[in-house]
Amino acid sequence: MKTASLSLRNLTRRPGRTWALVLLTGFLSLSLFAGSVVVMSLQSGLNSLEARLGADLIVVPKAAQSKASFQNIFLQGTVGAFYMDAELLDEIAATEGVAKAAPQTFLATLKADCCSSRLQVIGFDQQADFTVQPWIVQSSSRELGPMEVAVGSSISAGVGESIRIYQKSCPVVARLSATGTGLDTAVYCSMETMKTLLAAAEEMGVSHKVTADNSDGVISAVYVKVAEGADIDQVASSLASHPSWKTAVVQTRSMITGVSDGLAGVSSAVKVLIGAVWALAFVILLVVFALLMNERRREFAVLRLIGASRRKLARVILTETGLVCLLGGCLGVAVGAALVFPFTALIESTLNLPFLTPSWGRILLIAALSLAGTVLMGMLSSARTAWKLSRVDTGSILREGN
Amino acid sequence: MKKVSIPACFILVLSLLLAVGCATFLGPCAHEDGSVGACFWAGRALTGIGAVLAVQAVMALAVRSGRIRLGVYLSMLPAALFGLLTPGTLFSLCGMASMRCRAITQPAGMVLSGIIFVLACAGAVLDLKKNRKENP
Amino acid sequence: MILKADSISKRYFRPTGQANYFEAVKPLSLTLASGAVTVLMGRSGSGKTTLLHMLSGLLTPTSGKVLLDETDLYSLKDGALSCLRNEKIAVVPQGRSAVDTLTALENILLPWQLCRKNAPVERAEHWMEALGIAALRDVPAKELSGGELRRAAIARALCQETPVLMADEPTGDLDDENTRLALSILKDAAKRENKTVLIVTHESEARAFADEIWKMDGGTLHPEQ
Repeated sequence: MKTASLSLRNLTRRPGRTWALVLLTGFLSLSLFAGSVVVMSLQSGLNSLEARLGADLIVVPKAAQSKASFQNIFLQGTVGAFYMDAELLDEIAATEGVAKAAPQTFLATLKADCCSSRLQVIGFDQQADFTVQPWIVQSSSRELGPMEVAVGSSISAGVGESIRIYQKSCPVVARLSATGTGLDTAVYCSMETMKTLLAAAEEMGVSHKVTADNSDGVISAVYVKVAEGADIDQVASSLASHPSWKTAVVQTRSMITGVSDGLAGVSSAVKVLIGAVWALAFVILLVVFALLMNERRREFAVLRLIGASRRKLARVILTETGLVCLLGGCLGVAVGAALVFPFTALIESTLNLPFLTPSWGRILLIAALSLAGTVLMGMLSSARTAWKLSRVDTGSILREGN
Repeated sequence: MKKVSIPACFILVLSLLLAVGCATFLGPCAHEDGSVGACFWAGRALTGIGAVLAVQAVMALAVRSGRIRLGVYLSMLPAALFGLLTPGTLFSLCGMASMRCRAITQPAGMVLSGIIFVLACAGAVLDLKKNRKENP
Repeated sequence: MILKADSISKRYFRPTGQANYFEAVKPLSLTLASGAVTVLMGRSGSGKTTLLHMLSGLLTPTSGKVLLDETDLYSLKDGALSCLRNEKIAVVPQGRSAVDTLTALENILLPWQLCRKNAPVERAEHWMEALGIAALRDVPAKELSGGELRRAAIARALCQETPVLMADEPTGDLDDENTRLALSILKDAAKRENKTVLIVTHESEARAFADEIWKMDGGTLHPEQ
């Protein structure tokens, strides 16, 4: 306790010096904490994208410009719609190597009154579906009834409220958990509801028909699960090459690869940045501690004179550094949290990558590790000085400057 | 010897950022059809709060008496709290989390107000301590 | 307690005329008795301070032993030697010797706070009073003048309550009046508390307070006639 109180007094009675060191170490923990949270959020964004995709192949009309436009809806929450004849579903399902085929129909609203923006509505077949349902089940155990919708996590309408789409009131029965992808800004409904909405849209002059004698209506995409043992590439090429379908096939694997490439780029940039900050900070701290301690040589010599052992002297120095780093570390984590968590939506749209903040437990873990790292770093950089100082001959320091 | 109160310097910078930012680069976007919504008015309110806080910071920097400065710091607290509650709580914002207003204006407004609140607390505590030391 | 130096010497590596070392203290033996004030005089550079540092356990001699009663100081490990310095040998060093961030009183109590329990605040105040610095009790050390710091260092050494007390130029920054005061307090402590006191100085006034006077010249010790 004696050394701790001496260290504490040294710190509180030199506030300028102490705060400068606190700020310096604060940068360390800020960079480590914020950087790690960003990298981990990108990783969990990718994981949730993988989990949400669920299908091996997605068949979309050629008009969807093959991948690009579909991918934008999926990843960035761009609002858009494209249609093909619903009858294609049966033919796709009958194709060799296809185990499951589930249709989805997209609808882009005009400005919906809930959100002062356009909405992406996605209708899915509740019987055939294998991609959306498992996700909805997490928040609502029952099927969506007529006109009922589930909303993505970015839409603020709560369960029990309703949103109006093309003049139709749709009660919200479930809010889905966040995925960090464009799916968070969409509204989900059954195929029956979608038919009603399409009709309502048509009444307002927005047409969705692809052929004049379309009886079963339209679909936008077919999610395909390839049969076990079948070659995904082969199934993809047979689906894409049908002469009269005018469809394109998106391989989810390549979509995920694309995202994970982007993620790898950002992650390594962040890691390099953290590394650079730490290397620089280590050198700066090393120099700063060396200078500060040198300035206090006499003070430490006096402590030796009145009976502080080398070990005790080193403990005084390390306690001081430890306390400074602890304070700086906490400050850095707090600032990092204030910089990252409120701005996740901004980061997501800037990076163009799925971004899902990790659970609180993991965030606390990152915070604790950043703190520990900062303290350790500070201790390490002052350890050399502490060691050197405690070896120096007390007598000669006391004679200096006389 | 009169020393400049450091928290007030930071508050001045941050409140100007709040006032100017929420009217410009941090502000909500205009609707395509030119109409304005709750987001727009929330941005205006934040600009106003930022301006008030900036004036208070100038006062805190200008006054010589530690007691008066303590009062100025204390009066900043409700204003900063108001800034913290404006986007989302007192003014409901647009429903889509990816919109500029929710992605930038709200977090920026809340973070800036929050930091100003903490700094005003720090300034008040420092002045309180100093006053106690000088007039025990 | 008896402090005995047994043919100690100190060499520093420094190229001189013939040799590549410089012998600051040539082999010498010395016994300091308790209850007596020993004054060590000599010109600057004669090796006084080096000898004091060796005797007080701060500087390992090149050869020889320093014995405090039966204990060979330099056979102890650092922890034990530091503890012994704290409890047995108080030193007033040359120059500033206060921790700047602490007040005068805190500095005086520091040896107690560092290694022992219950710091004797009243004893500290008593010595401050005696040395005429009672009013500086709560003044930070960095605001004290040279003379005030010197007296605070003497108070710290006295307050340490050790059987041995060594002072290196204890009157360096003091005026005549305070010089006499400090020396008489040291002498008094030696008599009343049976302390072993060694004063290194070139102040001739110290002779009047000495029980034994040694003179140092070029690293060798001579008793003064």
